[in-house]
Amino acid sequence: MENQFVEIQNISKLYKGSLVPAVNNISLQIKKQSVFGLLGPNGAGKTTLISMLCGLFKPDSGKIFVDGFNTISESKKTKQIIGVVPQEIALYAKLTAWENLMFLGQMYGIESVELKKRINEHLQILGLEENKNQQIRTFSGGMKRRINLIAGLLHHPKLLILDEPTVGIDVQSKTAIINHLKKINKEQGTTIFYTSHHLDEAQDFCTHIAIIDEGKLITEGETNEVIKKNNCKTIEEVYLNITGQKFRD
Amino acid sequence: MALVFIVTLVQDSTFKSVNETSVPLLFVDNDKDSLSFQLENSLTQAHFFTTSKKNISVDEAKQLVATGKFLMAVIVPENISKKLRNKAKAKISKAFNPNDSIINDDSELQLQLFFDPITKQSFKVTISSAIDKIVSGIEMQSLTKELSQQLKQNFPNAKPIAFDSKPLVTTIQQYASTNETSLVPNSVQHNVPAWTMFAMFFICIPLSANIIRERDDGSAFRLLTMSGSYLNVLMGKILIYLLVNLIQFVLMLCVGIYFLPMLGLPQLQIGNNFFTLLVVALSSGLAACGFGLLVGTIAGSVDQAALFGAVSIVILAALGGVWIPTFVMPEFMRKISSISPLNWGLEAFYGVFVRGLSLGGIFIYLLKLKLFFVACVSGAFYYQVYRRMR
Repeated sequence: MENQFVEIQNISKLYKGSLVPAVNNISLQIKKQSVFGLLGPNGAGKTTLISMLCGLFKPDSGKIFVDGFNTISESKKTKQIIGVVPQEIALYAKLTAWENLMFLGQMYGIESVELKKRINEHLQILGLEENKNQQIRTFSGGMKRRINLIAGLLHHPKLLILDEPTVGIDVQSKTAIINHLKKINKEQGTTIFYTSHHLDEAQDFCTHIAIIDEGKLITEGETNEVIKKNNCKTIEEVYLNITGQKFRD
Repeated sequence: MALVFIVTLVQDSTFKSVNETSVPLLFVDNDKDSLSFQLENSLTQAHFFTTSKKNISVDEAKQLVATGKFLMAVIVPENISKKLRNKAKAKISKAFNPNDSIINDDSELQLQLFFDPITKQSFKVTISSAIDKIVSGIEMQSLTKELSQQLKQNFPNAKPIAFDSKPLVTTIQQYASTNETSLVPNSVQHNVPAWTMFAMFFICIPLSANIIRERDDGSAFRLLTMSGSYLNVLMGKILIYLLVNLIQFVLMLCVGIYFLPMLGLPQLQIGNNFFTLLVVALSSGLAACGFGLLVGTIAGSVDQAALFGAVSIVILAALGGVWIPTFVMPEFMRKISSISPLNWGLEAFYGVFVRGLSLGGIFIYLLKLKLFFVACVSGAFYYQVYRRMR
């Protein structure tokens, strides 16, 4: 219990006007410095769960604790230790990469000299140093994703929440992002909570996996354990066995 | 800005007609004697009418007014001057010699007035009163002239009495303004502040669109997950848009002061109380930004915000007296117009521009604008909290 960094206790969420809960009595425990992959088809409840984890949505029932802080009653403290990389490219298209990162870093209250140092470090690692003075709208999808990631890392969060961080980008950008995340996880001890539809990527990247469908938790555990207990060879096989072949549009 | 140019030009003649009342008048003189000469002279000198004289029949004159060529016609009947002199003579003689068997002519002397059917009753009363006043003066002159002659006949040694026909009591008319320079409400004094308010509130469209785009592209999600207060983010937005509003305000004033006079329109008079003017501009800008913030928070899409924002501003502007000044609105509409924030801003601007009021004089409007801003920001903030937490 002491080693658990995130504690999700029986949370449920039913949207107004909907008959089926988006999240239905889910409990999870996420260990410190682990890479936790939340997998599930479209509409499974992943984004709702992330929104509740960030303290943006209030669960109808249940509680979430991040590093011991209740995400609703102690939302300010929770927000100080989490970093969020949304699925959308949440950047200002007409600002340069540098201006975007400076603005978002200042919003986190990082001191200017330190902020510039951190931005330069991340830009260098992710191969964007030469493009830092270009407007975001001129960037390729992969470049935007890398800037989107940096924006969530600037304040050195203890918990990094990533909603499909590698969607729609080339293999080079994907590799750069995953390698950078692995490095941060290892060197800074950052706990990572990650969602993706790239199941091979998730299998390689995540230490722990949970699969949810229709708002319910289907299976969870260490990645290898999950594969083993479901008598499969890959996470993709587990996933298809559990969620079926039916389209979820 | 284009609206200020166009609407000010369009309304200029309307305001002139309200203020200067230059009525196109047809004068038909069948008398060609002293009364018609004096009457025509008085009408011309009054600067109240644009007089056109024609030798036509009564029916023709009536037709010209009926077809809208003239707003009214004055028909002076034949021999009215002679009849007036005879009547005056008879009246004065009767006064001096009550026992004389002078035959009194009881027939009424009448001028015929024709009005365009579109004119209001109040207009007819005003014009009739003005003409009655002129005719009364002519009557009085005839009577005093006759009186003078009678006195001369009855008292040959008496010195002739010179009657001054000038009225003993006159009125002074001024606009109730505390400005040292008495400002006349005109199309520029109305339209520049009115369309400035309209333009300021139109900031609602880009501001709400910005909020919705941030919500759609995930920026709002990211900002909401940061430890700082989202209220600070909202206030930051308001500051920027307020600055844009103030620049817009200054440009609109420049249009009124420098550009409209180039088109032959009066120059905008902004008075000397620049601090008060700045406070009014800030209060109006805040109210406009607050409204934009609320629309952006509640609307589901950019299209919805643009449609609702534009329509609501047009309605609030119409109610608030942007197109048609509230003083020409019916009483019940004037009451309704007082619920429009555009009306509060407009009244505050009128207070500074036309009435020369200080901060104290327009305090109630400034208070309303600020309360509207606070209500909108609070509404926007708590609505987004409610939406997330419901």
